[in-house]
Amino acid sequence: MVAREAGVPVPAAGAVSIAIDGVSKAFGSVQALADVDVRVRAGEFLSLIGPSGCGKTTLLKIVAGLVPADRGRVTVGDRTVTGPGPECSVVFQDFALLPWSTVQKNVEFGLLLRGVSPGERAERAQRTIAKVGLAGFERAYPAQLSGGMQQRVGLARALAVSPRVLLMDEPFASIDEQTRRVFQDDLLSLWSEERKTVVLVTHSMEEAIYLSDRVVVLSPRPGRVHQVLEVPLPRPREGGDVRATAEFARLVDGLWKILRKLQ
Amino acid sequence: MVLALRTASVVGFLLLWEWAARVPISFNFPSPWATLSALVALLGSGALVTATLTSIQSLALGFGAAVVLGVPLGLLMGVVRPVGRVARVYLDLLIALPTAALVPLVILSVGINVVSSAVIVFAFSAPFVAMNAYGGVRDVRPRLVEMARAFDASWPQLFVRIVLPSATPMILAGIRYALSRAFVGLIVAELLLSPFGLGRLIMSSRSMFEHDRMFATVLWTLLLSGTALAALARVEARLLRWRA
Amino acid sequence: MSERADADFGRAGVAAILGLAVAWELLGWLDVSMFVPPLSGVAVTWWKLLGDGTLAKAASSSLVSLVKGFVPAAGLGVLLGLAMGRFRTVRQVFDPWVNALMSAPLSALVPVLIALFGVRDTVVAATVFMFSFFVVVVNTTAGVRATDRSLVEMARAFGAGEATLFGRIYLPHALPAVLLGLRLGVVQAVKGMVVGEMLISLVGLGERLIYYGNTFLITELYAVILSVLVVALLAAQAVQACDRALVRWK
Repeated sequence: MVAREAGVPVPAAGAVSIAIDGVSKAFGSVQALADVDVRVRAGEFLSLIGPSGCGKTTLLKIVAGLVPADRGRVTVGDRTVTGPGPECSVVFQDFALLPWSTVQKNVEFGLLLRGVSPGERAERAQRTIAKVGLAGFERAYPAQLSGGMQQRVGLARALAVSPRVLLMDEPFASIDEQTRRVFQDDLLSLWSEERKTVVLVTHSMEEAIYLSDRVVVLSPRPGRVHQVLEVPLPRPREGGDVRATAEFARLVDGLWKILRKLQ
Repeated sequence: MVLALRTASVVGFLLLWEWAARVPISFNFPSPWATLSALVALLGSGALVTATLTSIQSLALGFGAAVVLGVPLGLLMGVVRPVGRVARVYLDLLIALPTAALVPLVILSVGINVVSSAVIVFAFSAPFVAMNAYGGVRDVRPRLVEMARAFDASWPQLFVRIVLPSATPMILAGIRYALSRAFVGLIVAELLLSPFGLGRLIMSSRSMFEHDRMFATVLWTLLLSGTALAALARVEARLLRWRA
Repeated sequence: MSERADADFGRAGVAAILGLAVAWELLGWLDVSMFVPPLSGVAVTWWKLLGDGTLAKAASSSLVSLVKGFVPAAGLGVLLGLAMGRFRTVRQVFDPWVNALMSAPLSALVPVLIALFGVRDTVVAATVFMFSFFVVVVNTTAGVRATDRSLVEMARAFGAGEATLFGRIYLPHALPAVLLGLRLGVVQAVKGMVVGEMLISLVGLGERLIYYGNTFLITELYAVILSVLVVALLAAQAVQACDRALVRWK
């Protein structure tokens, strides 16, 4: 259980903050991001939202070390990002599972790349598979699983390497709404056990408000921080009626009004 | 219902054959029955077995070389782009060229032996192995490479854990297709070289007007290639169990 | 097999061919082997053969056989392919035959053809037909089968009959695949042409190959090999030109 002080959750030991300072990125003549400043607190759940073309996925990839920034700096904990690092794990929108491997092998993938021994790999993978609710499916192949289950494998793979930071690129976009809601609650309860720092890119305002502590709105072409919203809804939110509250509706509507002006 | 139609088509074919033999379409055109008895006789006398073993030798040598050399070449082409761009021009030409045209040249330079058949088999099959391996590497899903990079995979790790498994289905398909071309090359080589193998048996039977023996050998050859390809397809299916 | 825009050679292509030409010329000069004459020597011989009509005579015979064999293969192949693509029963009956024969070493059947027709040029046309027919069928079938089901349903919902369905939905959609099949088929057809001619050893470019091989005329042999390659490439290009002309909407 996580301690609470006056409504502000205390992150678990080991969670790190992310500092994005003056990050700019251009692709050819298109300026995707211009001078973006974001501070992600340790153990915080932060969403990035904005209209198409605002560069939110690019920003996430820059934090992940997959794309180099043209200008500016990203610091994860005390490490300046120059490439992919051991504290970050990424969850992809289209799952990016290895089709030729079983669920078990897929979850072990990150551990395998890091040279973890087979015995320890198997054990850690199995634990994570159980945590995401896929116990029993270790020997299945991705083609045999539904979209929601495949993404659980993707999440398990990301969690198996015990990251301090979880970066999620529209993880629920390819999943139907009912499965999505269950998954979102599961994600929140998993996250509440070990408050990692989470940055989630999403298209859905409702999802951003439901999941996050703060929502960063980016404006398009070039991508800039337009506004940062606090989401003071109490936790735990999973399994409750948060979506039915007036406060929730007000927050979503507020976010919509901001986004509408950006369209 | 389907089985009935298929059986009907086979029966229909046999009847057509029988009719062709009776008409007769041409001098000494053997009937299905004559062909079958000739086949049995050839098997019994050992002539067919000897010829098959000789042919298999050339096939194994040529096709084996095609796989052993073709797959690495294709992989290299895919990984090192400039090599790929240049080499594929040569391979495209080799694939467009009727490879049979090279047979007289091979006979002149290498002679008439198992090696020359093997060289021809190689020429018929190697380009396809290489091209398919190349295509397999090029078709790797960029997302999977990105995912592995997100986990900080090194280049060797990327190659072994992402590129190779991704390319495997196309490599196997290329090998299977190349085997069918290898058989074509084998037969063309042996029909033209003549001194040994199944091709010789076919040609000698023809010139001695033993058409039933010739038909029987041709049938045997087709069965042989069909079986080999089916076996390879089974292996391929087992290796690619993970596909939906 | 993956199919790419293989007629687009581009800079790499030109460089590759020039490099090959230079290497060939060099190796020939260095007299590495009597079986590798310099490219210039081959070019001179090629010109000579063109001048004295040998090539023209052989090539015209070959091309006649090619057309005699490929045109029926293309026509019947497309028809069967359309039927197999459209009607499941037809497909189920013919599929095993077509697949078996497509991967079979059809060259083994050439002696059978000789037994049927005798040692005549009809054998060449028949070989051409055999080599190209199945490729056309398989690709046409695949093209028809790949037609978007929702489009068919849409047309049916608007009351389209069989003929309209075929003409307006299936055929246009299958066209790229059909043309691919024809392009692959023509390459196979040229291969069949050469194999057939070499085995009956009577007429055409294939006969020239056997002749020059038997008489150790190496430069002539190379000249004919290159001519055969040119024929194959031109034939493929011809089909590709039709492809581009007909499928502008893709």
